[in-house]
Amino acid sequence: MTTTAAVVYDHTIGFQANQGRGFNNPVDLALDSRGVLYVLNRGGPEMAVRLPYKRVTMCTLDEDYLGEFGTGGEAEGQFWWPSSLAFDPVGRLYLADEALQRISIFSGEGQFLGQWGEAGAREGQLDRPSSMVFDHEGNLLVTDSLNHRVQRFTAEGSFLSAWGDFGSGPGQFNMPWGIDIGPDGTIYVADWRNDRVQRFSADGSFLEQIGGPGQAEGQLNRPAGIAVCGLGNLHVADWGNERVQIFDPAGQVVAVLRGDSVPSKWAMDYFAANPDEARARGESDLEPSLKYRAFSPGQREREVSANTEKLFWGPTSVRLDDKGRIYVVDSLRHRVQIYRWQS
Amino acid sequence: MLEHDLGLMAHLMRRAGFGATPDELDACLQRGYEQTVEDLLHPRDVSGAAGPGILEDEDIVRRYHVDQNSLMLIESSQANWLYRMINTRRPLEEKMALFWHGLFATAYGKLNHAKGVVNQTETFRRHGLGHFRTLLLEVARDPAMIFWLDNKDNHKDAPNENFGRELLELFSMGIGNYDESDVKACARAFTGWTIANAEYMSVRASRDSIWPHGRLDWQFVYHPHDHDHREKTFLGNTGPFNGEDVIDIICRHPATAQFVAGKLYNFFVADAPDEAAIDELAGEFTLTQGHIGSVMRKLFLSDFFRSEQVRFARVKSPAEIVAGTARLAGSHRTADWSIINLALDANYMGQEILNPPSVEGWHTGTEWVDTGALVERVNSASKDMGDLRQPGVRAIVERLKARGGTLSPAELVDSCLSLLGSLWVSGETRAQLVDYAAAQGDLTFDIGVIDSCPEQRVAELLQLIVASREYQLA
Repeated sequence: MTTTAAVVYDHTIGFQANQGRGFNNPVDLALDSRGVLYVLNRGGPEMAVRLPYKRVTMCTLDEDYLGEFGTGGEAEGQFWWPSSLAFDPVGRLYLADEALQRISIFSGEGQFLGQWGEAGAREGQLDRPSSMVFDHEGNLLVTDSLNHRVQRFTAEGSFLSAWGDFGSGPGQFNMPWGIDIGPDGTIYVADWRNDRVQRFSADGSFLEQIGGPGQAEGQLNRPAGIAVCGLGNLHVADWGNERVQIFDPAGQVVAVLRGDSVPSKWAMDYFAANPDEARARGESDLEPSLKYRAFSPGQREREVSANTEKLFWGPTSVRLDDKGRIYVVDSLRHRVQIYRWQS
Repeated sequence: MLEHDLGLMAHLMRRAGFGATPDELDACLQRGYEQTVEDLLHPRDVSGAAGPGILEDEDIVRRYHVDQNSLMLIESSQANWLYRMINTRRPLEEKMALFWHGLFATAYGKLNHAKGVVNQTETFRRHGLGHFRTLLLEVARDPAMIFWLDNKDNHKDAPNENFGRELLELFSMGIGNYDESDVKACARAFTGWTIANAEYMSVRASRDSIWPHGRLDWQFVYHPHDHDHREKTFLGNTGPFNGEDVIDIICRHPATAQFVAGKLYNFFVADAPDEAAIDELAGEFTLTQGHIGSVMRKLFLSDFFRSEQVRFARVKSPAEIVAGTARLAGSHRTADWSIINLALDANYMGQEILNPPSVEGWHTGTEWVDTGALVERVNSASKDMGDLRQPGVRAIVERLKARGGTLSPAELVDSCLSLLGSLWVSGETRAQLVDYAAAQGDLTFDIGVIDSCPEQRVAELLQLIVASREYQLA
């Protein structure tokens, strides 16, 4: 499924779990300076018995489970529609909430430190904050998706600037999602419902567009999370096409990933404890034919993913580390698929 | 505009869909009754909707409701379907899906696979207005159905008759039109019709395993080596029949036309059967080789459907009352987390969509309403209709405002009943509503005239109307 030799599948972290070791509809992750993964579980639906599914799970790259914090709710330190994580320069973890319209702040150990944010459409107010990134000055850029704009705040939540409005022209947005900053300081925004990524100067001036609607290589279908590496390669969770595409700084596609997962360590633990299920699985064709399935328009890739466990299904976020690893948050499969650039 | 025309159009939209707002009814009246029926039958021609089973904002729902993207949990799947009922621009397609779901009743409870049942409803959207033969064939190949009625255990050397029996009894002909030998032959014809990886999927379903990485979709597969290729005699026909052949024979049988016509009449017209009307629909079924869309056209254009006798003669199902009220109130028009509460409301009222109580579906009519369910129905309906922030409620208030002047209590009640879809209420109920409105005198929105919160008074009256006995009826 991987169309390039430059990027290879490494391993998978994850296991469906409503609480404790594992994930539940993870939508984003953040890596701290020690390499600990903080995985943000959105869970759902929002009914009392299922609110504990919402949490931040901490684990290592080798699937050592370190703990979890947070839960579903409206009180301080709780969250309702958690969407994004970002570490600030001093190691505090910021968490955006698309339902409560606020940013919560935690220590690396999960202690609640504070929150800011207010619902609305005026400057500094939020309507479904979807993704965040800290700029080189330590200010926070937020995609304010239903206000169709990007806003910049101080780390304490004071409004600094904003750009964008609803539309499909240069510099306009339709429900933007992911955001990241390139090595040259330019800002990339996944313009979700316009099926493109836009690049802006550090002050928000439009520079260029990458992608456009479609399923062909280089085209995008509702791009979600994005990440730009130190070489300027843009990694896009091409959510509607159920894949990740990687563009070089010239905008050329250098890799297309569709998903290659094999069972994680936690999954293997489960099979060891349930040998009858493991045996039946071992005798199965895990990529059965879809010969008799009909698909509604635009739904084929999604249904293929629902059928084929190894593929991405609803990839929402891409994160990178300084070792050349690519972390794809494979939301509907409750896992993170990890790739790496070959040296 | 004649109140009579409005009443007929509102009746059509309640039965063929989930009701309509005053603006939608105005648009329908502009196009006329016959054209509205055609629009319902061919929604793509007027709405520009993306295609069968697709909502214009499906991507938005999946983005914000991650759980409704995977459809792993039953409540998420129920909420997702209710959202469709509320927001679809193809109301008849959605209503047909609900109808076929009740007929080919397949329940999450045994499957532990919500998306499997959801996929079945997509088949209903895709084929629900097409030829019955196609629909029946798709249902026979539907993995959820195969699992539900044990056809995965129907083998050449060990037939399982469950699907074959229900196909004849509950899905196409009804008892009295076949005998036990036909059931056995029918079952043999469907041997080898199963799902991929049947053993693994059975193990997962039996322990409700979501591990390691959530559910895996089910797929139909035909195993010719496990099919009984020998000769069979089925309903007087003899041959080495496979499932398709059996379905062909079933669809040509007069009992099938009568059966389907009777079910459609019961769901779309009235709880009590009318043999002459059912014969008329069965005739259209036969004439068109079982084309459901043609039968539905015949039904909606018939005198028996347009008759005032059948209006408000059916008890709304919980799904109808929940979705219909939300459509009127204008609530849940965008992806918001509280949609889950509507699913729970319908469950509390006794209808767990995607999880019917048995293969016989739900017992409808007055059985929907007992004391507890009635309280749930009233509470659920009045919640949104009393909320002035809801756009549909506001639209009703604005329409009343636009009339200007002063409304007497009787005028206020009659106007609200009209705006709620020419809602009929008994004389006694109307008198009680007028008494309630009269407690605060005439109503005016005119600036400078003292009236204690006229908008709130309207909202409270709307709440009272949807709490009435008559609002429970469609």
